[in-house]
Amino acid sequence: MIRKLKSGLVLVMMFCSLAANAQQDTATALFEKLRTRLDVIKDYVADVRIKIDVSFMKVPPLSGKLYFKAPDKMKLERNGGISILPKKNINLTLNSMFPVGGVTVIDAGTDVVNGKAVRIIKVVPEGESDIILTKIWVDEQRNLALRTETTTRDNGTVKMDLAFDKHIKQGLPDKVTVHLDVKEYKLPKGVTMDYDANERVRAADKGDKKNKKGKIEINYINYEVNKGLPDKIFAEKD
Amino acid sequence: MLRLELYKIFRRPRTYISFLIMTAVTLLIQVAMYVDGTSFVSFAMQGVGEQFAISGNILNGYLVTYLVLQSLLVHIPLLVALVAGDVLAGEANMGTMRLLLTKPVTRNNVVLVKYIASIAYAMLLLVWLAVVGLGLSLLVFGTGDMINLKSDAFIMLLENDIMWRYMLAFAFAGLAMATVAALAVFLSVFADNSIGPIIGTMGVIVVLTIFSNLEIPLFNLVKPYLFTTHMIAWKGFFDDPVPYDAIMKSVMVLVVYIVLFISATMVIFNRKDIQS
Repeated sequence: MIRKLKSGLVLVMMFCSLAANAQQDTATALFEKLRTRLDVIKDYVADVRIKIDVSFMKVPPLSGKLYFKAPDKMKLERNGGISILPKKNINLTLNSMFPVGGVTVIDAGTDVVNGKAVRIIKVVPEGESDIILTKIWVDEQRNLALRTETTTRDNGTVKMDLAFDKHIKQGLPDKVTVHLDVKEYKLPKGVTMDYDANERVRAADKGDKKNKKGKIEINYINYEVNKGLPDKIFAEKD
Repeated sequence: MLRLELYKIFRRPRTYISFLIMTAVTLLIQVAMYVDGTSFVSFAMQGVGEQFAISGNILNGYLVTYLVLQSLLVHIPLLVALVAGDVLAGEANMGTMRLLLTKPVTRNNVVLVKYIASIAYAMLLLVWLAVVGLGLSLLVFGTGDMINLKSDAFIMLLENDIMWRYMLAFAFAGLAMATVAALAVFLSVFADNSIGPIIGTMGVIVVLTIFSNLEIPLFNLVKPYLFTTHMIAWKGFFDDPVPYDAIMKSVMVLVVYIVLFISATMVIFNRKDIQS
C-alpha cells in the first residue's frame, strides 16, 4: 500500500514538474516570438507628436521626426526647434525595454489590458545589463506586447503602454505612453528671481511637484521602416 | 513746453551715458554667451539635463535677450533715475526754477510735463534695449524655441509663440520705468541739487529689490505692497499659461504708485517756496 502511495506521489511530482517545465517553455517561446518580431525592425523614421507630462515641465506638444536604429539609437528632430527626450537609458522604443542576449523567462499569470486577455511574462537578463527585470503583458493571439514594466538599475521603473492600430501588421504601435520616475527639480530663487504670480496657485502646485511620476505620450503618425539609416543621423550636432 | 523739456534732457551728455552703459552691458552679456554660453546653459539646466536629453539651438537670441533683461533688472531703473531725478532739482540747482514758473502755466503742469519728458526718455531707453538686446541677439544667436528656467519649473515656448510675449514684456517694462521716474521726480521736488534725488531713488530701488527677493517670512508680509515686487511682472509673459490676473494686479499696484508719487509731488511743489 505504502509502495503504491509512494509511486503515486512520484508520478504526481513528475507531472507537476513536467507541467511547470511546459509552461516555462511556453513563456520563453512567447518572449522569443515577440523578440523575433521586433528584431525584424532594424530602423525607422516616424512623424510623431509628443506630449510631455512631467510635474515641473511645461512643454507644448512637440511635432517632429523620430529616428530609431536598433538596438538603442534614437533621435527626435524638430526642424530647427529644441527637442526633448528622456535620457539614453530610458528609451522610448519597445526594443530598448526588451533585454538582449540570454534571458530567463518566467510565466507570471494572466491579466486584462484594455479589455483584452493577456499573458504576463517576467524576463530577467542573464548577463550585465541596466535592466534588472522586465514584465511584459503579451497579447498572445496577435503576438504583441501591450504593456511593459521595466526596472532599471539607474533610472527607476519605466512603464510603457502600447496601442496598435494602423501599423499593426509591422508590429509597430500607433501610440506609446511611457510612465517614468522623475527626480525633483529645484533652482535657487536668488538665481532665477521668480515673479510670484499667485501664491495660492503655487501652493496648490506643490503637491504636484512632489509627485515624481512623469508621462510621455508619443503618437506615431506614419513610419518608414528599414530604410537603412546611417549612424551619422544620430550624431550630436553642437 | 514738453519739447523744451525734451530738449533740456537730450542736450545733456549724462543722458547719453545711460545709452552707452546699457549698450556696453548688453554687448558684454552677448559676448560672454557667444564665447561660453554652452557651459552656462549646461550649468543652468543640470537639474533637467540629468533626466532629459535636450538638444537644438537652446542658446538662441530669445534666451540671450531674456538673460540680458534679467541682468539689467536693477540697472535700468538706476539709469532712469539719472535723468528723472534731475528734472525739478536740476532747475533749482541752476537757479532757473523761478524763471520757469514766470511762464503762464500752473505748477501742476510743470510737474506733469517734466514727468512726461522723463517717461519719454525712459521709453527711448527701452526701445534702445529692444534694438541692441533683442535685435542684435536674434541676429547673432538666431531664433528658435525658448527655454525659461524658474526655481521650480522648466518652461519651453515654441518659436512662433514668443515675439508677442517680448512686446508685452517691453510694454510692461515701460510702466515699471514710469513708476521709477515718478519716484525720482517725487524725490526731486525736495532737493536743490540733482545728486540727492538720483542717489535717493537708486537707494530706495536697491533696498526694496533686496526686500522683494529675499525669502524671509518677515519680508513676505510687505512684499506684495512694494513696487519693486511688481516691477518684475514682465517675466509673467514668459510663463505658460500667462498669469494675466497677477500681471493686472501688478499693473494696478504700479499705477497706484505713479498716481501717489506724482500727486504728492504736485502737492509739495504747489506749496514750495521757490527761492532759486
